Amino acid sequence: MTSRRPSFLLLAAFAAAAASGCAPKTAYLWGDYDAALYAHYANPQDSERYLERLGRIVQKAEAEKDRMPPGLYAEYGYALFEAGRLDEALTYYKKEREEWEESRVFMDKMIRNTRRLKEVRPGPAPGGELPPPAGPTPGALPAGEAK
Amino acid sequence: MSRSGLLLPLIGIVFLSFGCAAAPPKKDYTAFLAANPRSILVIPVVNNTTSVEAPGLFLSTLPIPVAERGYYVFPVNMVKGVLENEGLSDPNLVHAADPGRLCNLFGADSVLYVSIEAWTAKYLLINTQVTVEFDYLMKDGKTGDTIWKEHRRVVSNSSDGAQDPLSPLVMAVIAKAYPNYMPMARSANSWVFTAPGIGLPAGPHHKEYGKPADSGR
Repeated sequence: MTSRRPSFLLLAAFAAAAASGCAPKTAYLWGDYDAALYAHYANPQDSERYLERLGRIVQKAEAEKDRMPPGLYAEYGYALFEAGRLDEALTYYKKEREEWEESRVFMDKMIRNTRRLKEVRPGPAPGGELPPPAGPTPGALPAGEAK
Repeated sequence: MSRSGLLLPLIGIVFLSFGCAAAPPKKDYTAFLAANPRSILVIPVVNNTTSVEAPGLFLSTLPIPVAERGYYVFPVNMVKGVLENEGLSDPNLVHAADPGRLCNLFGADSVLYVSIEAWTAKYLLINTQVTVEFDYLMKDGKTGDTIWKEHRRVVSNSSDGAQDPLSPLVMAVIAKAYPNYMPMARSANSWVFTAPGIGLPAGPHHKEYGKPADSGR
């Protein structure tokens, strides 16, 4: 699209597709994953809304198991983790690990770290929420592997 | 001179002319196919513009088109968070890190490096010109070699909507106040990752994986 007219036409086509909701068929059910990320970066303090949106996308994608997007379970798990909901985070890390063999090394590390963090700090009451954990950095990978 | 001696050069000429007919030079996918990655680590993008919001916005457009090519794409926001906790909150540092080490950290086969080269809305008389430009590069985690790269610039002019009932001036003012970067970024990605002979070959999760076609769909 180096020429000008096609680029405008394409934009118009995109806008039309977005407006009518008839996006091109994708292999995975992404929902509004990109828009949720986009909103999260534009407005980082609203992490609750981000978590909620990801949760809805996961729920919808689970209806059609073979169209679950790669990384989505883990992304949701991490949002739960950041909200201090460690048990739920573990559940979704495990789902990611189960669904995608490519994720195993990473998920194993994250599961180990989250469990370690749970030992340091007792888990939240059922359904309850804790502020992000103090002390060891939440997402940190085991020391030694980082450097 | 035997008959075959005459024939061979002739065949050569025929082949040559065929070669000329084939349009633009095709990308060399040898290194990519040899590396044969299953998974791609999409790391935070480097920002070579003055726009503060561009890196986050652009990062959000990357996972979908890459994953749709049939690769496992690591959760971008989680990766970003983990890297930040590792002290790598500056994307320049991540891009400068050893690709093998990065891949080890996540168990990834390859890394996708993207930088934003332009993200601007320029107002000129009764036209607003919006420009986005990106550099894409993929490295193999085992060898550290570059296995694929691409560059894309997309320009849109508000004056192109001349048939619009709104006057060009109004269009230009609106486009300047609310430049619509995202569809342009998406269209750049879609071309870069999907165009035949340019994009990523179909990956292991794609139904066309392993088919002899050079690349693209």
